[in-house]
This record gives sequence, C-alpha cells and structure tokens, in this order.
Amino acid sequence: MTDLLQLVFSGLAQGTIYGLVALGFVAIFAVREIVNLVQGEYAALAGLAAISAVGAGLPLLVAIVCVIPLVVGVAVLLERMTIAPVKKMTPLTSIILTLGVSTAVKAVMLLIWGPEAKGLPNFPGSDMTLGGVSIRSQELWVLGIGALVAYAVIWFYEHTVRGKSLRACAEQPIAARLVGISPRTATVVAFAVAGFTGAVAGIVGSPIYLSSWQSGLSLGLKGFVAATLGGLTSLRVAMIGGMALGVLENLVAGYLSSGYRDAVAFVVLVLVLLFRPNGLAGKTSAVRV
Amino acid sequence: MNPLFKRQIPFIALLVGLLVFGAAAPQQMVDVGIWALIYGFAAIGLSLLMGLAGQVSLGHAAFIAVGAYTQALLVAKANLNPLLAAPISVVAAMLVALLVGLPLLRLRGHFLALATLGLGIIVGVFVTEQEFTGGTSGIFGLPNISFGGRVYDTSQEYFLLLTPVVVIGLWLASNLVHSRTGRALSAVNDSEVAAECLGVDTFALRLRVFVVSAGYAGLAGVFYTHWLTIVNPSVSHFELSVKILLMVVLGGLGTVWGALIGAVAVQLLDDGLRGLIPILIPDAKGEIQLIGFGVVLVLVIILMPGGLAQLWARLMSAVRQRKHPIVRGEHETPVSQEEQRALLEESLKLLARAEHMPAGQTILAIRGLTKRYGGVTALDNLDLDVKAGEIMALIGPNGAGKTTAFNMITGVMVPTEGSVLLQGTEVAGKRPHIAAEIGATRTFQNLQTFKSTTVIGNVKVARHLRSKAGLVRGMLMLDRTEERLIDQASQAAIDAMGLTSLADKQIADLAFGKQRQVEVARALALEPSVLLLDEPMAGLSGPERDSLSWLLRRVKASGVTVLLVEHDVAAVMALADRVAVLDDGKLISLGTPAHVTSDPKVIAAYLGEEDDQSGGPATGAPTATSGAAAGGLA
Repeated sequence: MTDLLQLVFSGLAQGTIYGLVALGFVAIFAVREIVNLVQGEYAALAGLAAISAVGAGLPLLVAIVCVIPLVVGVAVLLERMTIAPVKKMTPLTSIILTLGVSTAVKAVMLLIWGPEAKGLPNFPGSDMTLGGVSIRSQELWVLGIGALVAYAVIWFYEHTVRGKSLRACAEQPIAARLVGISPRTATVVAFAVAGFTGAVAGIVGSPIYLSSWQSGLSLGLKGFVAATLGGLTSLRVAMIGGMALGVLENLVAGYLSSGYRDAVAFVVLVLVLLFRPNGLAGKTSAVRV
Repeated sequence: MNPLFKRQIPFIALLVGLLVFGAAAPQQMVDVGIWALIYGFAAIGLSLLMGLAGQVSLGHAAFIAVGAYTQALLVAKANLNPLLAAPISVVAAMLVALLVGLPLLRLRGHFLALATLGLGIIVGVFVTEQEFTGGTSGIFGLPNISFGGRVYDTSQEYFLLLTPVVVIGLWLASNLVHSRTGRALSAVNDSEVAAECLGVDTFALRLRVFVVSAGYAGLAGVFYTHWLTIVNPSVSHFELSVKILLMVVLGGLGTVWGALIGAVAVQLLDDGLRGLIPILIPDAKGEIQLIGFGVVLVLVIILMPGGLAQLWARLMSAVRQRKHPIVRGEHETPVSQEEQRALLEESLKLLARAEHMPAGQTILAIRGLTKRYGGVTALDNLDLDVKAGEIMALIGPNGAGKTTAFNMITGVMVPTEGSVLLQGTEVAGKRPHIAAEIGATRTFQNLQTFKSTTVIGNVKVARHLRSKAGLVRGMLMLDRTEERLIDQASQAAIDAMGLTSLADKQIADLAFGKQRQVEVARALALEPSVLLLDEPMAGLSGPERDSLSWLLRRVKASGVTVLLVEHDVAAVMALADRVAVLDDGKLISLGTPAHVTSDPKVIAAYLGEEDDQSGGPATGAPTATSGAAAGGLA
C-alpha cells in the first residue's frame, strides 16, 4: 500500500510536468491547428539556461525571473521567423516545419551545453516522510507551482474577456477580426503562453528529472499524449491527463519494469485514438472517423 | 518513340551511371554513396507515404530498426542464409506498420506523425531492454553477404550489389505513383470527399502505401546491418528519422526521384557538417550535424516547399519555353451540334454498359432522414422514394436542406436519424465509397475537382471502381491493358460532355462552368446507376445548359436514375419527371412538375421567400404549366 501511494505521489509530480507541456500544445492548437513539436524544447531550454545562470553565480530566484521571459521570447521569435512566413499551412507542412525548428533548437542546445544531462539545485525546503511515503520538497514545489500556473492559464483563457476572445479567433477568424482581434495577436499570445508553461515545467522539474539537449523529445511526446486526452482543445483535461499519464507511467515502472516507462505514453495514445479520438471529454466534430 | 519505353530511359541511365560511379570513383566517395543508397532506399518509401498518402512518419527509423534487428537475429543467431532472412525482415517491418496504421490511419491530421514518433522511442526502448537483442551493445558478428561466388565485403562490391536493388526499388515506386492506386490517392490529396464519392477507399489505400513504405525501410535496414555487420539501438534513433525525412523534403514531397537525389544531398551535408563543425567549435561533440538538418528543413518549407524537384521543374519549363514558346489562344475546332450529338451517342454506348434496376422499381428509399445541428434542424424527417430510371429534382429556397440531403445520401455526412436504402442496401452513416460501390455518385455545388491534374486525369479517377489493378500489379507494370481501357472510357466521358478539345488541359486553368462540366463527365465515367447532381447548371451558358439537359435525357434513357438539385427552375421543370420541394428542412410537395407548380404550399414558400437570393431569370423558355408559379419560382 505504501508502495502504491509512493508511486502515485511521485507520478503526480512527474505528470504535472507533462500537464504543463500539454497546456502549451492546447494553447497553440486551439488557435492555429498546429501541433507544435518545439513544445518540449522550451522546457529543455529553460532548464539548461537556468542551470547556466545559477552556475554563473545568480541566485536561483533571479535566474528563474530572467530565464522565463527569455524562453517566452524565444518561443515568440521562432514563431515569427518560421510559422508566420508560411502562407499555406497544411498539417503536413506544419509538422515538418516545427520538427525542423525543434531539431535545430536541439542541436544548438547540444552545441552550447554538451551532451550530458544536468540538474538545477533543489528549491529551498526539506524532504519528509508522511505515512511511509517519502516526499521530496521539490515534488511539492512542482505540484504547487504547476497547479498555480495551470489555474492561471485556464482562468485566462476561460474567464477573462481577452482570453476568451483569443480562443474565439480559432473558430471564427473573420468575426474575430471584425470585432478587432487579429489572428496574429492570438497566435503570438498562444506561443507566449506555450513558452511560459514550457519554461515553468523545465525549470521546476529540472532538479528531479534533469535537463539535457534531448529531454524535449520525450517530454514533447508525452505532453502531446496528454493534450490528446483532451482532444487537443481542452486545457483542463490536458492538465489532468498529464498527471494521470505520470501516475500510470510510475505504476508500470514500479510493478512491471522500469524500462517500459517510456512505452506507456505511446500505448495510451493509440488506445485513446482508437476508442475516443476526440478526447476523453470528446465532442464528435473535431476529427472524423 | 513508345512513351512507355521513354519512361524507362531515366532508370537505365541511372543504373549505368551508378555502376560506372561504383567501379571508378575513389573509395571515400563510394562509402558516402553506399550510405546515400541505403538511406535513400528508405527515403523512397517515405516519399510514397508523404506524396501519396499525405501522411508523414516521424519515426521511420523504427522500421529500419525492425528490418535490421530481424535480419541480425535471423542471420547471426539462427544462422539463416542472409538471402532467405531478408524477405522475412522486410515482412516484419511491414507487419509493424500494419499494426500501427490499422488504428491510426483512420484519423485525419497529425496523429500518425506523432504515433510514429512514439513508435521510434518504443522500438529503441525495446531493443535496449531485451536480452536477445543484446541490450545497448546490440548484435554483432554478422557475415558479409555472398552469393554467385562473390563476397560483397569491399565498398565497391557492396555498392555494386546495392545499385540494382535501389534502381528496381525506385522503378517500382515510380510505377506505383502512376498506377490506379497512385492516381486515386493523389486525387484524395486534392479532394478527399470527391475521391471517396467516386469509390476510393482512402483508408484501405493509405494503409497499403504505409505498409509498402515500411517495407522499403525494412529492406534498407537489412542492407544497413550487413554493411556495418553490427546493429545497435542507435539505428532506431530520432536523428536517423529526421535525416530520412529531410531527404524526402529536400528532394521534393511526393517525387520518388527527388527522394534519391535528396538522399545524396543530405548524406553530403551530413558528412560535411560532421567535418566542419568541430573545426569551427572545437569542443563540439555528439550529433551536431542535426543543426544543419533542422535549418535546411525549415528553409525548404518556407522558401521552396516543392524541394529540389520544384527547382528542376522550373528549370525544365524555362528551357522548354525557350525552345517552343507556348502560343496563347490556340484555335479550337468548332463542332456543330449534330456532330457533337453523334459523338455523344457514340460515347454513351461505351459508358452505358452497367446493369441497372428495371425502370419503376424503388432504387433509393429514404426514410425519416434527419440532420440536426444543436437546436437547428437542417433536414426534418424526410421520406422519399426515387424510382429507377426517372429524373427527380429536389428544389427549394436557400437553406431548405437540399444539399444536406445529398450529403447524407452519398455518405458525406452522418445523419442524426433515418435510413437511406440504395438498391436495398443501407448506406446512411457509411463512408461515401460504399454508396459509390453500389452505384451512386455525385457532383458538388462548390466544385471539388482534382486540381493537380488534367481534365482526363480527373475523369480517370472515376474509373477506379471499374478497374481492379492492385498495388502489386501497379508496381510491376502489369496494368497496361487495363490502363488503356481506363483511357478509352475516360475519353468517352469527356467526349460525351463535349470537352474533347480540353482533355489534356490542367483543370485549374478552366473556367468555372467548364470545371462543372468536367465534374459531370467524371461522374458519368463511373457508369453510375444513380447520378446525383448538385446544381449542375450553375455557371453554364444558355447553350451549355441546353446540351446538358439533352445529355441528361439521354443518360436517363440508358437506364440511369438522376437526382438533381437545381436553382434554374425552368430547366428543372422541363427536365424532371418528378419534383420534390423542400422548405425549411421539410418536404412540402412531391409530384409531377405540373402538380408541384400549382401547389399552393410551394407558391407560398417561394413567394414568401422572394427576394434577390435566387439567380437571374432562367434562360430558355419555361415549359412549366403554371406561369404564375414558375414566374415566382424563377
């Protein structure tokens, strides 16, 4: 029983990271119908940049405050440079394009930081044991900050006029333009939000899960799987889906074999697409079967 | 020269060129050539997937890995002859593709891409975790391939072994693109709904192409492992998948030749960057060539979406332009109406061979057909029997539900409720190709032509169900007799519509009305039992409308049932045997033109709606009996 609780708890923390990445997928897909494969790279970049900043002597908090806007800026800049110039975006070109960007960003990170994985120092706090379950203080940071950021993003898109109108842009681009929202603004905001949630995930997760030039690959895939659970359109389901995926991975790793942890996401993806292609909360209009 | 033979010349040239290169080039270059051929082979397969199926695999290395590992296991562990093991390894890769494609290719959009990305990770995890695949160190000690008394162990020997395999692979792939399957899938990429309404089963064809594409990767894996004589998990890595993808994109999406050219370019780029980057940045290590891959991918998509093939095509057309400048406004031989009709009779003989239900029986039975969107009911509980061999028109004000009814009858839209029995078979809620197989096809109100091809190219797609060459026959070019029949029948359908002089024109260059006529010709070429026409008169000139009416009567005479949505009420009343009037989603009147035009409900519906929404006054003399109503209707 303790084992189970232990696995579930640390799975929730890991899954929060997936959920944050998934929020970025949904934010962008909802506006542009693009699956942005650079999503995982924002997290890897933020983690590595924060490690360098701390290594250069900056206090942790200052490093974080500098790195997050930097990553948001990179996300927006990359969108302006690569997505914006393409006039006729099909699913095929969007995938190739974002894969190209993601590959180039990976290689730049490899050139700057080398092939080894590194970790940010733990955030302040001490680990504890509660009812036999050992709880790392960093995991509490992950859960706390993750919940806060997820709440903020969902609140922005679902409860503020500004956020709601940005999402309306995806459904009615012409109507949105008539009432004064430009699709360009909506796209830039979406990429900024994606950069933000990615950066937070990368920084807060780095002390436990480490950051490397290629950590964005599997992080991106898992974030996508979580986003698919929400039909690529529901922020809430994406966040919760990410956490559920983290727990499921931990259970498979704990009870079957740790080597198969990375296979869980793929199996979940196939099963979801088989049985609920529009997501767990699915409407039936998004994808035709 | 025979055009078929002409098509083979580049392959013979390639074969000779590669053989000369392999025999004469220095070893260092031959080594690069070997990798270009091995990865290029996989890229040919991927380009089939991307060009024909319109789908992308981001984990194509997984299939190379499956081929390579299976081969290594069979040869090194089970001591099987490499030549016997190779087909098994290829089939293994194809089997994996079948299992992945079966659930995922039904979905549109991004899912296959992401799932294959995941597959790459899984295959890597699997071979690293398992004892029998040798963990991280992999399987080594494979023998070199030997047969015919030669051992293929030097660079030159291996290159000469690869050359014919790659040329044949390229030839097969190129044949596939030009075959019945290739034509159908490229139609799907232009307009999925139109292709399916002509009987193309998108899912089944895409799945087959995906499986073939994995087979190419599997064989690349076999050659990979015999060349290195070792295989380890790195073969499944993301870097290799990106590299293969880049080869296809750089070469030009969907051109198999481009994939091979792209393979050479990318292999040179790869080697160049591996040499160059450590000089520029001394302590760089790892897969740094990726930066070049990423940047080139992005640049190609932004600046040159058609890749090197696009560049080549532009160059060739510039050269051709200089040699034979195209004369604009070439004269068309005018055909008199008598000649035209004689041609049409001739063509109809070729086309009207399908067996039809005896006239008067119910060929299409619609019961309780309903479509609701949230609170809005677009079509409400429609009951309608269409008799074999009649022309029935569906009319009504805008938004009455006519096109909605069409969409549900042809499987384009899933009804909320109700049933559609076509020749006794339920088609409601099924895919459009099911209705087409039973003999119902349609045209579209908003044109759905296959824009990347010619007029005859459009019409040939409609012969999909009247021909049956599969993937293998297409690849081996055993479909020539059938292709000739397809050509004949398609030409006949074009002649019947009076479009003979336009047959080889790009469809996108034609006027709106002509494109509409091509759609009718295309539908006729299927030899349907039920022909559904959605506003076929729109955009047509007066004489064109007359000759279309005349054609439809002839089509009806040959036993075909015609269901017609049309705004030109005068034309409808002159043409139709029976008219069904829809208003606000409900059937308000049904009967002969005379009956309908005098029905007070119809007059009310039309006069109530009368504003500037209907088109201009109908051309040609209205033959409807009730002048007042017809005036209101027009």
